Amino acid sequence: MTYDVTIIGSGPGGYIAAVRCAQLGMKTAIIEKYNTLGGTCLNVGCIPSKALLDSSEHYHNAETTFSEHGIELKNLKVNLEQMIRRKSEVVKQTTDGVDYLMKKNKIDVFSGLGSFVDKNTIKVEKEDGEEEIKTDKVIIATGSKPSSLPFIELDKKRVITSTEALELKEVPKHMIIIGGGIIGMELGSVYGRLGSKVSVVEYLDSLIPTMDRTMGKELQKATKKLGFEFYLSHKVTGVENKGKEVIVSAETPKGKTLELKGDYCLVSVGRKPYTEGLGLENIGIETDKQGRIEVNEDLRTKVDNIWAIGDVVKGAMLAHKAEEEGVVVAERIAGQKPHVNYLLIPGVVYTWPEVASVGHTEEALKESGKAYKKGSFPFKASGRARASMDTDGLVKVLADKETDEILGVHICGPRAADMIAEAVVAMEYRASAEDIGRISHAHPTFTESFKEACLAASDNRPLNI
Amino acid sequence: MSLEIKVPQVGESITEVTLASWVKKNGDYVEMDEIICELESDKATFELNAEAAGVLSIKAEEGDTLEIGQLIAEIDTDSSQNGSGSSSGGDSSESPKEEFGGDSSSEAKPTGEVLEMKIPSVGESITEVTIGSWLKKDGDFVEMDEEIAEIETDKATQEFPAEAQGILRLVASEGDVVEVGAVIAKIEVMEGKPSSNGSSEEKATSEDASAGTQTSESKETYATGHASPAASKILSEKGVSSADVQGTGRDGRITKEDAANAQVKSVAKETQTSRSQVQTPAIPVQPGSRNSNREKMTNLRKTISRRLVAVKNETAMLTTFNEVNMKPIMDIRKKYKESFKEKYEVGLGFMSFFTKAVCVALKEWPSVNGMIDENELVYYDYCDVSIAVSTPKGLVTPVVRNAEGLGFHQIESEIIRLATKARDGKLSIDEMTGGTFTITNGGIFGSMLSTPIINPPQSAILGMHNIVERPMAQNGEVVVLPIMYVALSYDHRIVDGRESVSFLVRVKELLEDPSRLLLEV
Repeated sequence: MTYDVTIIGSGPGGYIAAVRCAQLGMKTAIIEKYNTLGGTCLNVGCIPSKALLDSSEHYHNAETTFSEHGIELKNLKVNLEQMIRRKSEVVKQTTDGVDYLMKKNKIDVFSGLGSFVDKNTIKVEKEDGEEEIKTDKVIIATGSKPSSLPFIELDKKRVITSTEALELKEVPKHMIIIGGGIIGMELGSVYGRLGSKVSVVEYLDSLIPTMDRTMGKELQKATKKLGFEFYLSHKVTGVENKGKEVIVSAETPKGKTLELKGDYCLVSVGRKPYTEGLGLENIGIETDKQGRIEVNEDLRTKVDNIWAIGDVVKGAMLAHKAEEEGVVVAERIAGQKPHVNYLLIPGVVYTWPEVASVGHTEEALKESGKAYKKGSFPFKASGRARASMDTDGLVKVLADKETDEILGVHICGPRAADMIAEAVVAMEYRASAEDIGRISHAHPTFTESFKEACLAASDNRPLNI
Repeated sequence: MSLEIKVPQVGESITEVTLASWVKKNGDYVEMDEIICELESDKATFELNAEAAGVLSIKAEEGDTLEIGQLIAEIDTDSSQNGSGSSSGGDSSESPKEEFGGDSSSEAKPTGEVLEMKIPSVGESITEVTIGSWLKKDGDFVEMDEEIAEIETDKATQEFPAEAQGILRLVASEGDVVEVGAVIAKIEVMEGKPSSNGSSEEKATSEDASAGTQTSESKETYATGHASPAASKILSEKGVSSADVQGTGRDGRITKEDAANAQVKSVAKETQTSRSQVQTPAIPVQPGSRNSNREKMTNLRKTISRRLVAVKNETAMLTTFNEVNMKPIMDIRKKYKESFKEKYEVGLGFMSFFTKAVCVALKEWPSVNGMIDENELVYYDYCDVSIAVSTPKGLVTPVVRNAEGLGFHQIESEIIRLATKARDGKLSIDEMTGGTFTITNGGIFGSMLSTPIINPPQSAILGMHNIVERPMAQNGEVVVLPIMYVALSYDHRIVDGRESVSFLVRVKELLEDPSRLLLEV
């Protein structure tokens, strides 16, 4: 039989594309190399890390803020094994959910490594042999995997990536994190809260450097309280596994050599597109310097029946970006004409306080010479934040100086990841800062802070500060 | 002031409707364009919208049978000001800028009278016209006699002046075909002129009045025309540019519903998109552009096409040909060009010779100058010669009256006057009707020979063509002469072969020896 569409990779991009294709009446197949569906996000990314972040956050609150709340605990301790087990249960429930979605939408699932034989034939290497699938169209959604530095040997015991960090058997005494980006800060937070000493070595001069500078500063302030130590503008020169000890050496901004000793080293310097074994050479598709598959505006490769989405193509490596692309490609295959507004794909960091942002950063506006005004509102001034003892962080709104149109929203604070949705909706409709200032926000909520920051940006007239 | 709401024209042959139900109650405040009641004709049910915002005063009962044009309701537009407007007369000086109608800030005062602007009778046999374009917008302040619209008829485009000064309220839309006598606009009559900035204020306040509470939503901002994510997808699929869609969302944003209702501008585009929806991208792409474009036929074009086909069907038309040695005329032109121009300030062209020659021949062969009117033949003792003129909108045939009595220079200047007006679209109906014979010159476009179609109800048409040097036998020798082929199409029902051929031979003789024109021999 010939499928209308075959999707290679079942991460959030791939499985969502499959569901949408099936909804549009296409006979759909999906190929997954691993035993469970869901890709990095569900198995070793977003979902398990959030599970551990929540567990560790509860522990941290119990340890540090419960007494202030008037809750007294004795013999508080971490059961890491149970935490990891619960995390695995969450992952299983979520991937089972994807299995259900495939059945519900009558999508055929093939377990094995998919590779191109030609542009309409895909070979699946299964545990019990090979199978070939004929297909009219293909969506490549093979995602990414953690990248490293050339001189670092990832032994996955002491020198680990995010994947291993989700399965540790003990709480590290001193975790050295190479790379102060989103993954490093999230996993650093998990172990920092559980009692690890955390040292972050970052090559650039700011944490989460792709986001607005204010966010990095706020996050640094907040995590410093957790005991994080930061080595910004430090260039890692070597990582050595000494058995029970890892030694990380780095060059300081002044050119001196720094040596950090810890028991674990998490390498979180980014992710790279994953196309190994895909057989791209058999269909004449090449990858660029960063290993990405080149696609046009419609996400179509140069082979006209093959599309690619998610981490394996250009753009932010985010699950929700891949999902949007999955839907768009499915609909484009069906002859519809949707498009993705890449500027308005929000970025989120699940530390506590969380960081979330959408639109232009202040640095980008400055660079483009755009006349803008800004307003911010600290959570210190929010009644809701005081009630929950979450007073770190702020909301920053950037608006067009002339038209008052919101150009960027950057939040570091409690539930920032959920709050950013309002900013995305506002910006999709090109709302002005004053528009948000004139929309009723329930009290007391964290989202009032967004309204206040908009009032500050629009006409410098916040009401509660 | 109050605005009368009347039963609108709902279609040809419908003279009365039944008031099915009131959607709004007596005394309700209604917004502009809100549905106030439902009407039923014998063919359909339709909704009647409020033409202004205000308080509704019902003048007909449910179940009433109403004639087209009969009063159904009145809307008290003063009340749309949420209580602040109508009482403004006395204390207006205290807060002039916020008062309705500019009572004090400008000198213009509403008189309360609403004048209906109807399509005037524009000529015999014209029963309907097309609204070509509005020159003024709804809510504009117009002065008496100011042009407010262009009206297209079968024959011409005319301007439509305001019959009073005041605020213009449009009833018909551009492109509407309306009958003579139909109301296409109303003017809320005002006394005096608005002060310098009064007109814009006037506009603003009157828009406020009609838009009611929506004032803040109707302004143009950076976001006007911005399509929501769902609307944007729909527009892409329809191939409609968001610039072509009027957004109804806040500040003119385009909502999903706006996009769903958006019309593709041309049918060609629509088929293109629907085709691409069916087929997935694998269509081999043809090199080069393959767009087609559809336009609505203008009334003028429709009339031209209808009448030309009618001539073919209803007359016994045939064509006779001849050739004319143009050398004598060319010699005369060469010789007297300068002095003629000096004296009459108009060039000596071929048209005057042809017109004069035709007039002489028409006198001799009156049936060529006549026409059939049912069972009678009509002959004329004058020659009203229609001259075919090509204009951007199509062919028109203005008439040179009593051409038989005009001198050469009079004919030339009359043709120039008419042709210029024709190209500017300014010909009156009178200037285009009533010819007895037509001359058409395809030669100016390079035509060698053609069979012109009679301009009804006339019986014959002379076709001129280009002048080409041809070898001709003359007195037993071959000489090269400038020759024009001429063609006479005629209606055999009234003109016989002998008459038509003799007529054309006579024209030829007169042209080849213009001194005959002088002597009339």
